[in-house]
Amino acid sequence: MLQRYFHTFIFLATSLFLLVSCKGDFISKKDELVAAFESSPTNLDPRLATDANSGRIIGLIFSSLLRFDEKLNLVSDLSEKWENPNPVTYIFHIKKAVKFHNGRELTAEDVKYTFESILNPSFLSPHRKSYEKVKAIIAIDKYTVKFLLSEPYAPFLINMTMGIVPKDDAEKAKRDFTIRPIGTGPFVFERWIADERIELKRNADYFEGKAKLSKLIFKIISDDTIRLLGLKTGEIDFIQNAIPPDLISSLSKDKNITILTGDGVNYSYLGFNLTDPVLKDKRVRKAIAYAIDRNSIITNLLAGIAEPAAGVLPKSNWAYEEDVTKYEYNPDKARRLLDEAGFADPDGDGHKERFRLVYKTTNNDLRKMIGEVLQKNLKEVGIGLDIRTYEWGTFYNDIKTGNFQLYSLSWIGIVDPDIYYSIFHSDMMPPNGNNRNRYKNTEIDRLVAEGQRVLSYKDRKKIYSKVQKIAAEELPYISLWHQKNVAAMRKDVKGFVLFPDGDFSSFKNIYKE
Amino acid sequence: MARYIIKRLILLFPVVFGVATLVFFLIHMIPGDPVEVMLGETAMPSAKEDLRKALGLDKGLAEQYITFLKNTASGDLGRSLHTSRPVLSAVIERYPATLELTITALIISILISIPAGIISAVKKNSIIDRLAMLSALFGVSIPNFWLGPLLIILFSVQLGLLPVAGRESIYHLMLPALTLGMGMAAILSRMTRASMLEVLNKEYITAARAKGLSNFAVIVKHGLRNALIPVVTVIGLQFGALLSGAVITETIFSWPGIGRLMIQAINTRDYPLVQGCILIIALSYVLINLLTDILYAYIDPRIRYE
Repeated sequence: MLQRYFHTFIFLATSLFLLVSCKGDFISKKDELVAAFESSPTNLDPRLATDANSGRIIGLIFSSLLRFDEKLNLVSDLSEKWENPNPVTYIFHIKKAVKFHNGRELTAEDVKYTFESILNPSFLSPHRKSYEKVKAIIAIDKYTVKFLLSEPYAPFLINMTMGIVPKDDAEKAKRDFTIRPIGTGPFVFERWIADERIELKRNADYFEGKAKLSKLIFKIISDDTIRLLGLKTGEIDFIQNAIPPDLISSLSKDKNITILTGDGVNYSYLGFNLTDPVLKDKRVRKAIAYAIDRNSIITNLLAGIAEPAAGVLPKSNWAYEEDVTKYEYNPDKARRLLDEAGFADPDGDGHKERFRLVYKTTNNDLRKMIGEVLQKNLKEVGIGLDIRTYEWGTFYNDIKTGNFQLYSLSWIGIVDPDIYYSIFHSDMMPPNGNNRNRYKNTEIDRLVAEGQRVLSYKDRKKIYSKVQKIAAEELPYISLWHQKNVAAMRKDVKGFVLFPDGDFSSFKNIYKE
Repeated sequence: MARYIIKRLILLFPVVFGVATLVFFLIHMIPGDPVEVMLGETAMPSAKEDLRKALGLDKGLAEQYITFLKNTASGDLGRSLHTSRPVLSAVIERYPATLELTITALIISILISIPAGIISAVKKNSIIDRLAMLSALFGVSIPNFWLGPLLIILFSVQLGLLPVAGRESIYHLMLPALTLGMGMAAILSRMTRASMLEVLNKEYITAARAKGLSNFAVIVKHGLRNALIPVVTVIGLQFGALLSGAVITETIFSWPGIGRLMIQAINTRDYPLVQGCILIIALSYVLINLLTDILYAYIDPRIRYE
């Protein structure tokens, strides 16, 4: 009997020893970076991916004709230079001796193939619409490619930030290209364990010089707290944006962690159903805008990592217009506007409400809390608010089908004012586009269409300045805030630069001290 | 025995049919459109139509249901709407991770609970008994989403002994398995204690003691063996529940098991994948119950299946 106890004891002692002896093995290594994502990228084929995390990794594996720098200017990537000889023609001269990860040189044929496959209806690319003005793509020679458009289209160049795929491999792999992506970027795809991790290794032949770290690992950790604990233990080196605001202060106290914040290109807004009998009255929308205490939400719920917004475009955007109607917190003004609109308060400061609205949101904790503050703000001016939270799929379906009164959502990655076309043009009501609020204004329709055809920045700026003024006056959206970017990393991680669009371009320059 | 097993296996068919039908209609009843989730808002309406056609979602629900039943009957669970991969291989790829986690959790819980239950029963109302049962009460009451982070703070952040998340080595398995196993250990130890107490009052225990057997032999050979029968039932049921209920633990520890796959599939309205996950989980549940029933006959020779 004693012998049996002895065996158990030996087993337990060995396990304990193994446990203790492995201490420290989980810390990331010096020549690799471990970053954590809150959700798994869904697709690593640039022609098919739509989510932000896929985009970040794609940006490391692939190069494009043009790319954004850290000030969101379009700069050369694969193209040596580009010309615009007339409003419907663009010619790109491609850099020579750029090699794909399979060793083959990138040529104009690959560029042509990439965009033609997106335009091919049977490829079912979600980006096809962005290129519908492209009439023909001609590979003039090995290093020159010409795009012919059916009409002038200002946002064309922005769409040239699409990753270029190798024709032969992409054709052969078809939809499996997403799990075996091959590009010309600074990092080579190594492996993808679904819902657990994606690993990339350094591309020794990268045309701008090889990256400093030999390996990048992206772990998918969906629980907010656990992700941060991973950063505290050193198992994770880097997290960008996937940090709940209420946990930032605890992180900033940790002397092993550096936190960077910078202006972003995401926009949070409160959306209205403009076909609703109450909400179609502009005075009601203005009253709601005056009733919301944005600054208090930003300070208390968002830990200060947001800027109050006056319109869709962030201040850093070249088309941003400062001189628009702004709605500072002013409950008295809100009450007066509601009285004017014929929604008198039945009992002054009493419990009775002028009317009730339903606010829909996702079951995300932060969104729910924001809903509660809105509820309190609106109550002060006599509007009752019912908060309904839904799982994302259900919520999104309701928004698309117009089954809502009030909701709040964000637009992410706003770089071109052309976003106004897709959210406010009356042709863009679902299912055609993103005019979720069913907004209709003939002047806006005319301006946003013109903004696509006019090519000079100066003329476009004038057009969008008008659009911003009308939108601020008419309030199809109530602007809430522009979320800032936050990156938290271990102290020894150096060389990272925060991009407004959250891009990981600077990963090739990151090193550890 | 063989006849009994065959009978039970035949009964699997109506169960699978029932589960398949329920799952099919439930998942199609939830609002939300997989095509919208896949293509996003910026896609052209015509692209959405093309995709809907390519995925067979343009057909009527009845027609989709019949196709689904036919395919399932021939062992074809379809392809994931998102990745176009066969559902069966996606599920099978994830199954080992869940099984690994569940079996380890089961072993941990048995290692903790059976000795705890026996000691509590033998030393009834002693300090040890009270402490053990109090911890069991905590074990049952503490939700995994709280216990998980607590264990991480202790073992990973404070002591630096174990990794926080992921599935790379045996060390990565420990915390999730402990988290998942604690709740079950609590249930099992209370069950073992109750069952042991009942058995220890039986006359054959007195007879065994009268024979002059050692205390250990009385408790283990005569007591435990008889007390185990209800415990085995609970272990079987709990094992089944763990297989499907590891979702939260898998999410906390980023364990790439079938639970996370299913949640992901529900969020993206990947109908075939949800159906496949639930079918496989249901099938495992039924098979484990069958195994438990067979196990009875070995523990208790009086039990015979006709």
